[in-house]
Amino acid sequence: MPNEDFGKLITRKLDVNSDAFLNLKSKHIVTNTDIAPIVDMLAVKYRTKKAFLNDFTSLHMVVVTLRCNSDCQYCQVTREEKNSKQCDMTIRTAKKIVDLIFKSPSSNIKIEFQGGEPILNYSIVKYIVKYAKKLNKKYKKQLEFVICTNLTLSDKAIFRFFKKHNVYISTSLDGPKELHDKNRILQDGKGSYDIVINRINEARSVMGEDGVDALMTTTNLSLKYSKEIVDEYIKRGFHGIFIRALNPYGFAKKREKEVGYSTDEFIKFYKEVLMYIIDLNIKRTFFMEYYATLFLTRILTPFSTGFVDLQSPTGAGIQGVIYNYDGNVYVADEGRMLAAMGDKRFLMGNVYKSTYKELFCSNMMIDLIKNSCLECLPMCSYCAFQTYCGADPVRNYSTQGDIIGYRPTSEVCKKNKAIIQFLMGLIEENNDEIMDVFWSWINRSKRNKREVCIETN
Amino acid sequence: MKQISGIAVNIHKKILGKVARKPLNRFLRSGSDEIRVIARGYPVLITSNEFNPEKHKRISDIPIVHSVKDITELKEGNVVLIEPSGGINILYEKESIQNTIMVTEKCNCACIMCPQEIKKEDDSKTEFNLKLISLMNKSTKFLALTGGEPTLVGDDLFRLLMACKENLPNTPLIILTNGILFSNFEYAKKLVLLQNQDLTIAIPLYADIDNMHDYIIQTKGFHKTIQGIYNLALLKQKIEIRVVITNVNYRRLPSLAEFIYHNFPFVVHIAFMGMETRALAEKNIDLVWIDPYDYMPYLKRAVNYLDRAMMDVSIYNQQLCVLPKDLWPYSRKSISSWKNIYLEECQSCLAKDKCGGLFSSSEYKHSLHIKRM
Repeated sequence: MPNEDFGKLITRKLDVNSDAFLNLKSKHIVTNTDIAPIVDMLAVKYRTKKAFLNDFTSLHMVVVTLRCNSDCQYCQVTREEKNSKQCDMTIRTAKKIVDLIFKSPSSNIKIEFQGGEPILNYSIVKYIVKYAKKLNKKYKKQLEFVICTNLTLSDKAIFRFFKKHNVYISTSLDGPKELHDKNRILQDGKGSYDIVINRINEARSVMGEDGVDALMTTTNLSLKYSKEIVDEYIKRGFHGIFIRALNPYGFAKKREKEVGYSTDEFIKFYKEVLMYIIDLNIKRTFFMEYYATLFLTRILTPFSTGFVDLQSPTGAGIQGVIYNYDGNVYVADEGRMLAAMGDKRFLMGNVYKSTYKELFCSNMMIDLIKNSCLECLPMCSYCAFQTYCGADPVRNYSTQGDIIGYRPTSEVCKKNKAIIQFLMGLIEENNDEIMDVFWSWINRSKRNKREVCIETN
Repeated sequence: MKQISGIAVNIHKKILGKVARKPLNRFLRSGSDEIRVIARGYPVLITSNEFNPEKHKRISDIPIVHSVKDITELKEGNVVLIEPSGGINILYEKESIQNTIMVTEKCNCACIMCPQEIKKEDDSKTEFNLKLISLMNKSTKFLALTGGEPTLVGDDLFRLLMACKENLPNTPLIILTNGILFSNFEYAKKLVLLQNQDLTIAIPLYADIDNMHDYIIQTKGFHKTIQGIYNLALLKQKIEIRVVITNVNYRRLPSLAEFIYHNFPFVVHIAFMGMETRALAEKNIDLVWIDPYDYMPYLKRAVNYLDRAMMDVSIYNQQLCVLPKDLWPYSRKSISSWKNIYLEECQSCLAKDKCGGLFSSSEYKHSLHIKRM
């Protein structure tokens, strides 16, 4: 809106028949006629944007072992040596967890295996898949499995099991060999690129093209490889990438000097990658950037998006929850990291000792949800990007000392604001080619929940 | 609707009936008993031949329309309304995809571009319409319930829908309504309880701004229509939105498209429609008319926006020579055949087969940019 019109608007001198006024009125920002029916329409739009709250916890992450055979430069996870079996989940604990998962009121349940390297405790993975499917005969929920694995310990028999039970693979690929091998090192000191690529191909040959997806983590080494990383993903047959910044937890925090970078450096890198990807799309290679797609969906559609790490109120606990190998339940993986370092602030309880109600309706949970609504958080409450953003109380706590946090020094806030602003600039340009690309991403996105929440009056 | 006529004999009131074609040509030869029997089985005898009461004494007492010129228009299974004046109105064509039922001629709006004469009072047509539905063939491909405003007959609308459910269980139905009365949730609920077959409710929305829409419909209805849309959506009904483009609203088409997507993303179809310049539209022509060529940039932005957002969108009542080529895929042949014309200019046009042509009312008022391709 031009400054001149804005000045007229706030001094109530804007002509109510001007396009400027009508455009604001159309979006329910101003009105000069009935107010009550407009409040009703806004209520529908608002409920629709918050539809992610209707389901309650649907993402259930299960850490089946802390053991790992990798020694990645940036690993945030507390991990144990390959042979310390006391860090494996037992069948008894696994059963308790699955029983609890099915107490969730959500009609969609996604069980995500994490570690350590979950294949090091493969028998429990198999047990959980089979037991969950057995229970689901009674509960009839939409049940999905994902396993986050470095793939180095998998073989065809494992892939066949995954195919049979619809377990999707989420592996890690940081970019071309020279980069990946520096970031992702096995415990024997060798890089993992060759073996990962082989296994991706093998997994696809058994499970089909869409059976495997990959995640990348940005280290300071990645900053020079913006194009090469994307090219590597396209070469390996992936349809998208999530340009992910490092998490300042666990080991990554300790090794910050070796792998870290400033938020400004990351933002610059992110924009470079994004523009490269947009250009590829314009030249007819369909390829998405998932983080941009998340924001674009929030900006351009009326729908709610299911992204646990950036919701208002937070998705921690009420959209996603993580079960540790010992049956401890945390609101998020980062909460588990903090506990490993001695701070049990985000421990919800334990599957042996706590009831469902004690886990999900505790004072800690209520406090967390209450203090993670952007609509009433300091500085977020009047931020122009509030509708598109979300709260990360666990990150606030770990980096700034309390769950509410302090925005002027928040790196997450800085990063998200820069990315949203960048996307807004591209949308404002309204270049047909770029908008076609953006909408092609939105329409392909699985996070997009086309549900409109109307109530009778 | 299509109308033909002949000379009526022994017809004293309107008669509704289904056409059955029999080889009756022989009946002129002599008044044979056989013919008399066939003719007597039916409410009316329609013939292209001349009837002479002196010559055809044996059937001189039965209702007849004779000397009908376009008798080939009467196909087996058509339903016709015959008037004492000899007029034969074809109310229903078995093979057509454009059959409609006029539920009532009353309306609670008076849209400035309405192509129909709206009556303030109207005798109930429900019994007549129930009979009409009962005469329709089970294989009917499509049926629209229209008006006036169909919901003004109240619960009679549900009697009609119930009759459709019984007699035409496989026919997709569409109700053309302004949606205002569906703002009453209880009324909307009754519609759903009928559990009709494939039913679409097509509702006009002319602007994203309440007073602009209300000016066009000449009453305060915008928010009631919206409440009606919400109620029907809550009840999981298939809703279509129809936008007639006039000089009053064309500048807001792109904003209206955004408004529809952000408030009603659940609608199954959006149709942008060219005007039919009859009745009120003709009376208000200076107010409502804009050359479609001049609103194309706005229409294009609206259509492209909705298409990008995966909304199903169509353009009705436009000629291909006026539409930019990239909008052709959205254009539908939407004008009912009985009032569909092509201009002289169109006759040698290479795109004529693909083009929906014009309303007969557009013969003198149409885009200045119509040209042969």
